[in-house]
Amino acid sequence: MNTLSAWLLVGLGLPVVTLRGRRMALGAVTVQALVVVALAVHHATGPQEVVAAAALGVRALALAAVFLVLAARTRDPRPVEAGAGPARRGALAVGLALLLVWLVPSAGLASRTVEGVVLSCVAFGLLVAATTRSTVFQVLGIVLVENGLALAALDLPGTSWLIELGVAFDLTLIALVAGVFHERIFAEFGAGDTSALATLRD
Amino acid sequence: MDRTLLAEATLMAPALTACLVACLPRAWTTGLARAGAVITAALALVTGGAALADPAHPQVGPWIALDAAAGLLLAVIGVVGLVAVLVSPAHLDAATRSLVPEPRRRRVFYVLVFAFWASLLGVPLAGNLAAAWLLIEATTATSALLVGFSGRRRALEAGWKYLILTSLGLGVALLGVSVLAAGVPGGDLESLTWRALPTYAAGPSTALVAYLLLLAGLAAKAGWAPVHNWLPDAHSEAPAPVSALLSAALLPAVLLVAWRCEAGLAPVIGDGTARGVLVGFGLASLLVSAPFLARPLAWKRLLAYSSLEHMGVIALGVGFGTPLALAGVAVHVVGHALAKTLGFVAVTPLLAHRPSAATDPLVGVGRTRPALGVMLGLSLGTLAGLPPSPLFVSELLVVAGGFTAGWAWAAVAAALALALAFLGLVRALLESTAGDVAGPAAPAGAGRPALPALPGLRGAGLLAAACVPCLLALAVAALWLPGSGIVAALVRGVR
Repeated sequence: MNTLSAWLLVGLGLPVVTLRGRRMALGAVTVQALVVVALAVHHATGPQEVVAAAALGVRALALAAVFLVLAARTRDPRPVEAGAGPARRGALAVGLALLLVWLVPSAGLASRTVEGVVLSCVAFGLLVAATTRSTVFQVLGIVLVENGLALAALDLPGTSWLIELGVAFDLTLIALVAGVFHERIFAEFGAGDTSALATLRD
Repeated sequence: MDRTLLAEATLMAPALTACLVACLPRAWTTGLARAGAVITAALALVTGGAALADPAHPQVGPWIALDAAAGLLLAVIGVVGLVAVLVSPAHLDAATRSLVPEPRRRRVFYVLVFAFWASLLGVPLAGNLAAAWLLIEATTATSALLVGFSGRRRALEAGWKYLILTSLGLGVALLGVSVLAAGVPGGDLESLTWRALPTYAAGPSTALVAYLLLLAGLAAKAGWAPVHNWLPDAHSEAPAPVSALLSAALLPAVLLVAWRCEAGLAPVIGDGTARGVLVGFGLASLLVSAPFLARPLAWKRLLAYSSLEHMGVIALGVGFGTPLALAGVAVHVVGHALAKTLGFVAVTPLLAHRPSAATDPLVGVGRTRPALGVMLGLSLGTLAGLPPSPLFVSELLVVAGGFTAGWAWAAVAAALALALAFLGLVRALLESTAGDVAGPAAPAGAGRPALPALPGLRGAGLLAAACVPCLLALAVAALWLPGSGIVAALVRGVR
């Protein structure tokens, strides 16, 4: 992976941390996933790897379609406020990414650049899920983490298309289940806002 | 018969049942589910029994690993799943609302239960870390919908927390899996068999990071403190049969994967470090659960915090790793599963009759409904470790195992936390079965009308009657187990 692709992937992940609009964030995550698909196709040396890349592509497009439909069906009266402002979230995300890159030793992927991108995506995803209150954004956080992990799987020295297909299928399933929950939460609470989900405490 | 074939049949049975329930006419749903459950449980018991009967010769391949630990878990998951399916009609008959509209509700419920059961049975059988991860993630997708199945606000909240927290946790674990995959010979996810983990070649510091990522992620799914936040909510809001599956089957199954990771990576990162992480999670879970068990809690929430405590005990036993401690783990997994399943099943009829029991602590149930009081008492007494509960013996074995393993401070801390948890659970036992009842739930007689019969209580009674001899036999077996071939096989693992 060249430096341009690396910065592109990081640059598409970071806005998801700071954006308020669901469609823009969904667009950034989807484009990021498609960049990973392009890299997978570029890496592919046999039919099985092409199938795995196709599975990643189908996952990216299917998730985008599902969440676009959900966003259209569940329009929040106003954007759901996050726990912290965009600048603070962005700073936290960059800080967490740098911390992870510093803490995690080289894992043996093709280059340290790839490892940095993977860890940045994981950091951004965790931050999105932890600091936003919007149900859609929390799921996008998970997708962001998984985009990074898909990149790591691509860069492993060998290939395991069956496992990669399984991961793509599992994550699509998780996102679909999250979609069902989002819709029901919206119907019950009038917004996809997790701050309303605070009755179960001891 | 070939044990691998048996294992494959055990996985196929619930998956096939889910497909049949989804495709065949709605009128057949309950009958198909019952038949599928009996067949699945029988296969799981036969496969598990075959593994336990010959523990010295585990069958370990790239995709399926059937050793003593997997055999034990298969038997437990088979029995808990069977009970969950058999008591589900009582729950479904009483449910007033659901995520799914009425005509399809029963069918969707059973499809999800069997899909969950199939992935659960696959977890202990997985011969490969990546496959185990896939199956654990699959349990999240299927069980999250079951947690929120009632469609009530509280259930949606619990289901959402469960889905997001465990998915994020498993994302972190997948990062650990990827790091490991880069360092084993073969260099791909398919090469991550349990026997390949000790050959990790990218250095101990990277292996340690991968191990920590893996365990932190799996902890979120196994319900270990401090990443257990979803557990009390999901267990208390899920339909009771699903709560039984979550608590008695899912948590120990995920724990087995953590155990296999520890056993595989200990030669690389060092035995003390690998075990120390498990001991840390175990102690944290015990210490966090103890104060909650001392509070008045709704019944299912109380059982959920008890799950946190018991997963802590099992993590400690695995972390100590001596024959004594592992014998304790084996007894604890089985005893906890029986008592917890009984606890969730017994309360189902009461929840249907008195919905407030879902949110308020139970008080004096034995005074108003003696039979139900006996069942709840049996469940909670066993979970508390009240002699002759097998959990009393297993906790003793785990603590003694801690001393013999050289973890004296951890064993002392565990003993103190267990004593606190015991006091809390005994208080809850006395309060819920024999506490003073006031108001409309006061005992019948003295001018009050008799309370209506609870449908489904007979089934719970049958389960309680079956549990008593099993629990007593388990308590006796616990004394024989430390020197047995099964424990020797548990110590050896899949190596």
